[in-house]
Amino acid sequence: MRRLYSSLVDGRGFDLCLIGIPLAFLIVLSGVPLIYNVVMSFQAVDMFSLGSFIRPWVGHENYRQLIAQPEFWPIMGHTATFLVASIAGQFLLGFALALFFWMNFPGASWLRGLFLVSWVMPGLVVGAVWNWLLSGDFGVFNFVLHQLHIISDNVFWRSDPAFSLWSVIIANIWLGASFNMILLSVGLSSIPDDLYEAAELDGAGALTRFWTITLPMMRSTIGALISLGLIFTLQQFDLFAAITAGGPNNSSNVAQYWAWDLSFKQYDFAKGAAISVIMIVVVMLASVYYVRSTRHEVRG
Amino acid sequence: MTTQIEFSGVNKHYGAYHALKDINLSIGKGSFVALVGPSGCGKSTLLRSLAGLEKITGGDISIAGEVVTTLPPRKRDVAMVFQSYALYPHMTVEENLTYSLRVHGVSKGERKKAAAEVAATTGLSDLLHRYPRELSGGQRQRVAMSRAIIRNPKAFLFDEPLSNLDAALRVHMRKEIRALHDRLGATSVYVTHDQIEAMTMADHVVVLRAGIIEQQGRPLDLYDKPANKFVAGFIGSPAMNFLPATVAEGRAATIDLGKGPIRLTIPVAAPIGSSVLIGIRPEHITLTAPGEGRFDAPVAFTESTGSTTFVSTATNPELMVVETGRRMVANGDLVGLAFADTAVHVFDGATEKRL
Repeated sequence: MRRLYSSLVDGRGFDLCLIGIPLAFLIVLSGVPLIYNVVMSFQAVDMFSLGSFIRPWVGHENYRQLIAQPEFWPIMGHTATFLVASIAGQFLLGFALALFFWMNFPGASWLRGLFLVSWVMPGLVVGAVWNWLLSGDFGVFNFVLHQLHIISDNVFWRSDPAFSLWSVIIANIWLGASFNMILLSVGLSSIPDDLYEAAELDGAGALTRFWTITLPMMRSTIGALISLGLIFTLQQFDLFAAITAGGPNNSSNVAQYWAWDLSFKQYDFAKGAAISVIMIVVVMLASVYYVRSTRHEVRG
Repeated sequence: MTTQIEFSGVNKHYGAYHALKDINLSIGKGSFVALVGPSGCGKSTLLRSLAGLEKITGGDISIAGEVVTTLPPRKRDVAMVFQSYALYPHMTVEENLTYSLRVHGVSKGERKKAAAEVAATTGLSDLLHRYPRELSGGQRQRVAMSRAIIRNPKAFLFDEPLSNLDAALRVHMRKEIRALHDRLGATSVYVTHDQIEAMTMADHVVVLRAGIIEQQGRPLDLYDKPANKFVAGFIGSPAMNFLPATVAEGRAATIDLGKGPIRLTIPVAAPIGSSVLIGIRPEHITLTAPGEGRFDAPVAFTESTGSTTFVSTATNPELMVVETGRRMVANGDLVGLAFADTAVHVFDGATEKRL
């Protein structure tokens, strides 16, 4: 009894307790729902069997039906477009901002902090703000494009099927760019100055230094950021709910919104679970890449 | 000897701080010049100004006859070995060595050949495909030097390159750098805070303090004829003993070590009654039996390294004596101190300049 007590106070028992609490938390709140979701995607689920765990097993039937739906491939295509465009936009804008603030002009760090405001805002609020900005008849976005002579007629961003997905992408880039900027700023500042000095003495101009020193030294940061971007972008739900609700006619619908729509609007829980499982696989692959790229960090 | 590097009236300000004050220095082609001084004396700033990494605020710098004051570092054709080595961590040794060639568009085959040649002379042949993190401190140091050599630059700049190495390796690399310099016939500028490195490696030593050149010359000239008290105290280890004295008649001065005035002959004439500083190097004093030296002093404590004995006296100011071999004196013993007249340096009491 005494030994158990002393182990709990300052021995291995204490260590196990510290690890056990978050582990239990993770299992209860993430692990169990995850497994429940995977199991559900192989079962026949209806409103009456929703409360029970033991349900008729249907094998791959839910997946087969899901893929057979006419909107499946368009929605997957939208998801891919949303992922690639959001990540590319967030990364490029974030990198440009990080390089800009790296010049360290007076007030740079203060201004950089201000940029984080976009990231801490809830998605629904951002969605509401962008609804006004992108509004077809009185939106600021249209006004600016008009003044720059890029467009001649108003673009109805949220209701035109050709632009509805892009309206969410624009809002999502705005939302995520500052997070990219912060991580890239950290990466940039961890490159020692004397490497640049050595490269400069070796005859490298500014552009050569960027390609041969900055970018390779940032490889692990960039790898981590891209995989984090993939994970965060696949989690982006609020903006869809706030801006387009997946419409019009599924033109801005993506996997994560569709999963919610199937489960909680059409009450087809099995198909909703099936699409979640497909997303879980993608996110898992991204996580593996994330862990690997942070493990291989090169620091001189 | 033609001039390879010339500083004329170089000034550097950081805001209100005046880091380099009107530096004039010319460095001959093929010479090995050491810039030495305590921290913050401006030696690194001077070197970085030469490399172009710091912009000078006045004066001109020329390299091989060409004024480079406004040229960016990459157009100055000088190579630098950094204290941290600044090896590119994401490149192999070979890629590190050939980076400058790659930037200048040299073909891959020629780069490989050049790397192999340099690596053979610096003993890196087996390490070409390793990354810097897989190398020891001494090996990294060699890579940094090879990276400079491969470029065949107009001058080699060293910024305290040995301070990250352990003592034994430092002594070894000292010789290696000097041998390399001789073999390449290069012009080298070497910054160090370690006067032993400066004395052993350089042909020409420049002592800086607070942005001013205090003295420059051949190492042994600096040792034998220091221009002022600062150089006298900085060059030589352990540091020179300084005794306040008053000039008396007949080329003599009186010192007071706390037990009444002691009369010493000095090698120069000075106004009678003026105050001076007498400097005597610890290694120029020998211990004798009491009464047989110039004067007697009690021993405060002794330290022995086996080959050398350091004896401090219980006087005010304290005197340090270095004796070769072992000397059995106990704390509190009275000893005689003997030295030649030529070992006495005299500095002005007010200006601290050599008389």
